[in-house]
Amino acid sequence: MKLPALFDATQAEVLWIAPDPNKIDVQHVISSDLMSDVLMMDLEHPLLLTSLVSDQSLRTAHVVEAAAVLIANDKTPPPQMVQLAAELQIPLARTALSKFDAAVVLGKALAR
Amino acid sequence: MKPIPISAEQSPLLFLELLYKLRVRDVMVRDLVTIRRDASMRDLQRLLQTRRVSGVPVVEDKRLYGIISIEDLIQALEANRMDEPVSQFMATQVITVDEDMPLSIGLSTCNKYEYRRFPVLNARKETVGIVTARSINTRLLMELFKELGRIENEGVQTPVQSDSCSFNSFRISPSDFENAGKAATEIKTMLQQRGVEPKMIRRVAIAAYELEMNLVVHSDGGTLTFRADEGEIQLISNDQGPGIEDVNLAMQEGWTTANEWVRSLGFGAGMGLPNAKRVSDEFHITSEIGAGTTVTIRNILAVRPDHKPSS
Repeated sequence: MKLPALFDATQAEVLWIAPDPNKIDVQHVISSDLMSDVLMMDLEHPLLLTSLVSDQSLRTAHVVEAAAVLIANDKTPPPQMVQLAAELQIPLARTALSKFDAAVVLGKALAR
Repeated sequence: MKPIPISAEQSPLLFLELLYKLRVRDVMVRDLVTIRRDASMRDLQRLLQTRRVSGVPVVEDKRLYGIISIEDLIQALEANRMDEPVSQFMATQVITVDEDMPLSIGLSTCNKYEYRRFPVLNARKETVGIVTARSINTRLLMELFKELGRIENEGVQTPVQSDSCSFNSFRISPSDFENAGKAATEIKTMLQQRGVEPKMIRRVAIAAYELEMNLVVHSDGGTLTFRADEGEIQLISNDQGPGIEDVNLAMQEGWTTANEWVRSLGFGAGMGLPNAKRVSDEFHITSEIGAGTTVTIRNILAVRPDHKPSS
């Protein structure tokens, strides 16, 4: 599924996005606040759903070549995190949904 | 500004020292491609094609009779003399170097002539190898990296990025969460520039990130060193303490000594070392309480189809 459609489904506010987001196709979601666990998963270009607001979410996403990072629980990443997203070219968005609700919405959207 | 790794006055000495320390035998290619005098020029053509070299020494029973190159082959082709033996076309006045020569003298010999390859003879005048600009450069770079590794232990960083080698060393400070992950990001970028296959990049980046986070979370400070050449990628994490009490326990998934504060940052789940091992072809760890921990990881690169052997 296209990344913008997933952001729409979770009513996400997009903080940084690649110039051509419709080219980003997402098939997998990793939902975790534990970056160590994210690093253990072998999934192709997953969307990282997390409530961990720190540079480490983006750095981890970069290392596992995640398609995007979606921050849940209505948290707002600080400006330098948005800047890092642009630097690492990783789409970053935030949603007011809880991590569980966001995961349910994403799961339903991908199952369609 | 980053500190200059070697004092400007000392650096020429470093190169000179290498030129005197290394001998011709250290930089020569030992896997020799040779041809016999009675082989035909057509045989030579096939040999040059299959081994992808542009010239070979003419050798029988280790004795050197001459040298023949693609230029001679073109002459034979033009004259339609491809069935004639190599001995008709080879150069017999061959400039050779001795395997015992210091590299500095070997180089000055090579520099006097315009040839591209120089057969290497041992004391018994047997052909034991060949030196080319490429073989010399590769070896010199490797030796420089070793020196840089030594300098890096003094806390100085000097990245190197070339076709044959990449090298970088990162000083990691304890509890520096602001910069944690930067080394892994840079290592990933260097591997991408080298054109390494994406799956391998991911494996190495994960290992680098785990080692880096371990240094940040657990160590009293240390270094993460990265080196890649055409054959392998190496990561070395080295710290000055405190050391791991029970290495076997530390290798168990889920076992951790991290505090709540570290866990609140998404780490300290006790997966770091096992995960680093999972993505590595070779994994070694040594640790001593009070002395520190060293983790060495190697990943072997598959030879790419477009890989060209050295000539």
